Amino acid sequence: MSRRLALGYAAAALALAVCPFTLGPYWLDVLNNVGLYVLLALSLNLILGDAGLFNMGHAAFYAVGAYTAAILNTHLHVPILWLLPVSGLVAATFAVAVARPVVHLRGDYLLIVTIGLGEIVRIALVNDVFGLTGGANGIFGISRPSVLGHRIRRPDEFFWLIWACVAITVFFFHRLEQSRFGRALTYLREDAVAAEGSGVNTARYRLLAFGLGAAWAGMTGTLYAAKMTIISPESFGFWESVVLFLMVILGGAGSIPGVVLGATLVVGLPELFRGFATARMLVFGLVMMVMMVVRPQGLLPLRLPRFRASDLGKASGGGPGAGSAEPGAPRPAPAEAEVGP
Amino acid sequence: MEQFLEQLTNGLAVGSIYALIALGYTMVYGVLKLINFAHGDLFTYGAYLGLTLLTSFMLQDRLGLALGILVLAAMVMGLVAVVGVVLERAAYRPLRESPRLSAVVSALGASIFLQNTLMLIYGARYQVYPDVLPQDAVHLGGLTIPLVRVGVVAVSVVMMTVLYLFVQKTKIGTAIRAAAIDQGAARLMGIDVNRVIMIVFVIGPALGGAAGLLVGLYYGQISFTMGWTYGMKAFTAAILGGIGNIPGAMVGGLLLGVIEALGAAYLSVAWKDALAFAVLIVILIVRPSGLLGERVAEKV
Amino acid sequence: MKKAILALALGLCTLGTARADTVKIGLLAPITGSWASEGQEMKKNVELLAAEVNAKGGVAGKQVEVVVEDDGGDPRTASLAAQRLTTQGVVAVVGTYGSAVTEATQNIFDEAGIIQIANGSTAVRLTEKGLKNFLRTCPRDDEQGRVGAMVLEKMKAKKIALLHDSSAYSKGLADEINALLKAKKANVVFFDALTPKEQDYSAILTKLKAAGPDVVFFTGYYPEAGLLLKQKKQMGWKVPFIGGDAINNPDLVKIAGKEAAEGFQFLSPPVPKDLDTPEAKAYVVSYQKKYGEAPQSIYGVLAGDGFRVIVAALQASKGAGGEPLRAALGALKDFPGYTGKIAFNAKGDRVGELYRVYKVDKDGGFVLQK
Repeated sequence: MSRRLALGYAAAALALAVCPFTLGPYWLDVLNNVGLYVLLALSLNLILGDAGLFNMGHAAFYAVGAYTAAILNTHLHVPILWLLPVSGLVAATFAVAVARPVVHLRGDYLLIVTIGLGEIVRIALVNDVFGLTGGANGIFGISRPSVLGHRIRRPDEFFWLIWACVAITVFFFHRLEQSRFGRALTYLREDAVAAEGSGVNTARYRLLAFGLGAAWAGMTGTLYAAKMTIISPESFGFWESVVLFLMVILGGAGSIPGVVLGATLVVGLPELFRGFATARMLVFGLVMMVMMVVRPQGLLPLRLPRFRASDLGKASGGGPGAGSAEPGAPRPAPAEAEVGP
Repeated sequence: MEQFLEQLTNGLAVGSIYALIALGYTMVYGVLKLINFAHGDLFTYGAYLGLTLLTSFMLQDRLGLALGILVLAAMVMGLVAVVGVVLERAAYRPLRESPRLSAVVSALGASIFLQNTLMLIYGARYQVYPDVLPQDAVHLGGLTIPLVRVGVVAVSVVMMTVLYLFVQKTKIGTAIRAAAIDQGAARLMGIDVNRVIMIVFVIGPALGGAAGLLVGLYYGQISFTMGWTYGMKAFTAAILGGIGNIPGAMVGGLLLGVIEALGAAYLSVAWKDALAFAVLIVILIVRPSGLLGERVAEKV
Repeated sequence: MKKAILALALGLCTLGTARADTVKIGLLAPITGSWASEGQEMKKNVELLAAEVNAKGGVAGKQVEVVVEDDGGDPRTASLAAQRLTTQGVVAVVGTYGSAVTEATQNIFDEAGIIQIANGSTAVRLTEKGLKNFLRTCPRDDEQGRVGAMVLEKMKAKKIALLHDSSAYSKGLADEINALLKAKKANVVFFDALTPKEQDYSAILTKLKAAGPDVVFFTGYYPEAGLLLKQKKQMGWKVPFIGGDAINNPDLVKIAGKEAAEGFQFLSPPVPKDLDTPEAKAYVVSYQKKYGEAPQSIYGVLAGDGFRVIVAALQASKGAGGEPLRAALGALKDFPGYTGKIAFNAKGDRVGELYRVYKVDKDGGFVLQK
């Protein structure tokens, strides 16, 4: 990642590290919520931003992870932190299973299908499917996580747990961006036909994106369950999915710092402006419409790699160095076809 | 058998309302290739405006029931059409050249905005329509069918037929169909596509508004969130019949209503909505062009 | 610069003195959201009572300050609101409405040592967790279940249909009644849920009719109940319906229409206009004087009673919170609440029978049945 971005992260980390010593439990709890949503938004970014798949049912994966952890914890008394990988795996399996038949669908259709899936999951939770989910009551009595014998209970303790996870996630996703997997996703987002033609198995990569994104959402679900100790279907409805979708789009689809910023603003600002609770949604809708006209690429848009002329020169052994290829424009517009003789 | 027939009539009544709303979705999608998420809220606007106009003017007392309702419907449809046109200008026209995702987000934003303006104006509680429709029932072979239910189906069928004839037989209708097939070619043929789009945003919302008024009169209770459920169901109906296909929307709506009613009767009522969504997903996997076929060119 | 520091210091001093002079009682209520009408009434009741207490000299020598936080009718907002209250120095909290919402806040208050008295949360399990600092002035669903089963028995119903809406409260109540009926070997011919916030219940009514019950017990909320009654009448189906206490709302008659609602019975704690003690009647009058209308919801008055028991217990504990306050609350016997005599058992539940049967008359009024 670029020097500027690294500095930005370092500054943010420093500011956050000071918080447990300066802020009271209420604001720490707000930051905890921000942290959880950053994790969720990053997980959706993998699917929506990196792979370009319109997913507006992401709360379903979140729910599957949270409920898996809750059920296993309350019935089998498995410690919560051990359930992180389990819930991630279950959520990923679920995502791949449901995405398999629909992953080839065109953008808007996929959007509607994911909305439908989200609703079906929510209804199943409310109707106490398999007798496990507790219906509208949800599940309560989930145990607190304990690290090396120390039980994590208060907001400042959760702060360290959650933001450590955020740091690991950000680091991991940045590495992923640069990896073969990340590049394949970028390719298939920009032009699926060309990608397929170049040998990228689009269906497989799309499913992988769904799976990985779902896994992360599922793990965040476990953290949420441990923090609240009770979970109920109301927290995993359509509105959740919409908010996550917005965080990614408004922050800048595909851009990790953008999504982090988007999540922070969407969760943090309403807390600052609590007085305008009723008008909050109105402003939300307005912001969405205006942003799409004014700045559709998001607040901190994805920057594609920029090549300097000197790099090109080195590549072709000191060839023509005039001009610099710069496909570094934020969110490129549909490519123009070149008409030639 | 009796329950089956009764559930069938239930389903047809609900389905005809889905169909009216679905028409709006399908027309807009046909021409703009856009899922107008705000359409369900236009339906809600119809219901609320109908309430305000009904209680302010009391036309049913002054002009008699039939004429009063007719005038009321005309007013509601006109007003909602205006909102529809404004919506198109504000939220969709600036994004005509932008990628699909932007338009989808803008549509969602518009939906949230419209819903919440209603909430701020009318309050968050349910609103109740005064009881103006006759409550008698018709007895057919052992079944008791409320007259209003028959009325709902009849009105919807009439409106859909009128629309179908309009689209098939008039010049403007042909222009709409042409723009739905290929905007660029239509423009080359001299069709004013902007005007066509405006007309689509007049007719679609007007029908949605009429459906809202119908729901208000028939069920009596409205809330500012009702657009969400009806909108999703209507969209399912449009997909079921074939998006962009007007007779498809009608068939899809009625069919979905019947499936829901029978599903509720013979499976569990609690899963009724999940059933509707499941139908949607299955159709999109198995036959994405819908029952009567999609009238839009498919992009890979 | 020096002036600023001086001003700040003075400000801090006054802040300090202000804090020393007041006793803070929190109110957690759904001021916004689906239950805003309940939350706003809770606020009105508590604020009126606080003003009355302060006019009489406050409690334990200090003025009472009510700190209101909005829980939005949603568990997550509620937990944040509860966190906020714990930082404001309240000794006790009244609230809230909605079992799931209250549940999200129980641990927060309990861990902070703050007494919580819920006014509108009837789920049984809330007091089965062993939380010392949680009490409630509202009854529990199992009591309502008992009264419900009793009413069904009195009606000599042979075949009973139970309908709920899958919400925590509604299904809980339906389950309670179902269990009691099964124990009495009654014939439950139908047990299913409708989807709330819809309009068309013709499908489920048709299905109910096909099951042939003598009576239908609906445990959901008043908007759906109103629609059910209206559509049932349209169908020409005459089987009687009974409802639980979430149906207690004047809008029921507005939605169903007077004809359809007539004869409908439901269970409920007494509505404010039926409160029969002289103090309660006087309170209703003073509420009417301040706010221009009588209290509509019993849950608002239950919040008021919650506030009053806290004040009474604070007098006994001389303004101390925590354990002394809890002990003082436990020691209350036959406290004259507006909603009836109040005492708490070891679990924190209110002792005594609160539920009555109401019937809708032909003018749409709710009439208490004996």
